[in-house]
Amino acid sequence: MSALLRADFTTLWRNRRSLRLVLLVPVVIVISWKGMVNMMGGAYVLSGGITIGLISIGLLGYTNSIARDRDKGVFQRLRVGPVAAWTIMSSRILVQIATIMAMTIAIFAVGNLVDKIVLPPLGYVTGFFAAVLGGALYLSLGQLIVGLIKNPETVNSTTRLVYFIFIMVGMLGNFGVLGDVVKESIQWSPYGVVNRVIATALQPETWNLQATYALLATLGYTVIFGVLGIRFFKWN
Amino acid sequence: MSNQQRAILEVDQLSVSYGPFEAVKGVSFTVASGEIFGLLGPNGAGKTSTLSAIEGLLRPQGGQINVAGFSILQQPLHAKANMGVQLQSTSFQAELTVAEIIRLFAGIYGKELTPEEVEEKLVEINLQDSGTKRFGQLSGGQQQRVSLVISTIHDPQLVLLDEPTTGLDPQSRRQLWDRIEAIKAQGHAVLLTTHSMEEAEAVCDRIAIIDHGRVIAIDTPEALIAAHRNDPDVIAVSRKGKITLEDVFIGLTGRAVRS
Repeated sequence: MSALLRADFTTLWRNRRSLRLVLLVPVVIVISWKGMVNMMGGAYVLSGGITIGLISIGLLGYTNSIARDRDKGVFQRLRVGPVAAWTIMSSRILVQIATIMAMTIAIFAVGNLVDKIVLPPLGYVTGFFAAVLGGALYLSLGQLIVGLIKNPETVNSTTRLVYFIFIMVGMLGNFGVLGDVVKESIQWSPYGVVNRVIATALQPETWNLQATYALLATLGYTVIFGVLGIRFFKWN
Repeated sequence: MSNQQRAILEVDQLSVSYGPFEAVKGVSFTVASGEIFGLLGPNGAGKTSTLSAIEGLLRPQGGQINVAGFSILQQPLHAKANMGVQLQSTSFQAELTVAEIIRLFAGIYGKELTPEEVEEKLVEINLQDSGTKRFGQLSGGQQQRVSLVISTIHDPQLVLLDEPTTGLDPQSRRQLWDRIEAIKAQGHAVLLTTHSMEEAEAVCDRIAIIDHGRVIAIDTPEALIAAHRNDPDVIAVSRKGKITLEDVFIGLTGRAVRS
């Protein structure tokens, strides 16, 4: 496992240009939403940025790297060695979780330095864990996409399409621009539930029944996407 | 098999199916230590399915495969730890350097290599100046050498080579044959697949010809040629009056081009 982790982290480091691009979008959003801090609250701005960062990492980072390496036969080469399949995938997922942690810390830092958002320490801690949980949902969604689609180019275009839909419909719908029905639907979509769990976790004193339902929905989506993604995944 | 040799790979009544299609039908053979065994067959004959089952990449519908005494079905990690594999189209993470790839695979087989040991491996394959290059920057022959050194990095009892010389120039091919023979000289068992009858004749101690999922002939190249020298189908395809292993192969498997 340690050899795989070292190789996967090295791969991530060598891809730092694309990693920067993945982190850029949520950071830009947090900076550009500075004017909304007083209106909607710092937790809302941070949760929006983190949610979009999680979508980037899960859909653009993880999914495309799995699709590409599968297509090139990298997994086949690893699987003929004495290494269990779950170890190969766990190493990949651990690298993505580390990226999620780094992104969350970067959003907290940018929010604090640029938007002057200050949360209670407990809010940062619970928000951090909520981000990892939300990240699991998007990693499992990425797993489902790479499980259902074999061609790496099709995976790439599909993840970009889903990414665009999530961001545009999710953000605009959340603002109410697309009407009340869409707004209500968005709240229970993968975008909405993760956004709500993170926003509430950043202010743990505001945790309520709706947040609990959103947490359960997040777990439910993660399990369903993950099980189907593993069920349909082909190594070659 | 001499007294000093022992069976490292035992394939017994192997069957592989894809839905209703039976790709491998009761294939059996053994490969002993210090032996180079060739698996030959036309496209779609069942070679790749047989090899994939031995490598543990697919689960056969029937039969047994033992590597160094470990069943690939019941003890896959133990069996895999005793074999080294060079796949037909090898690919490694594009972002890693050759030295990092060697360290990665050594680690997978439980060996932590120091930078000096990695350097030794690179010197062994004449790539001492290429440790910091990415795998994709190497020529075909260099890539095959890296793949070969990785497949033997843990000193396995069995080495599987899937068409190792495809696409190589004659010099690189000869060099690779020398390396395969060096692996044999160290007591390893080698199973290789190839479409080159010249290669099979040059390096294999024994060969099995597989067609339509069954082993149709198994022996030393010389014995196969001698046994089929007077076969009308073999004589019919021979050229310039001399019977070669390729004539025997085509005589036994037919002239039709397989897809």
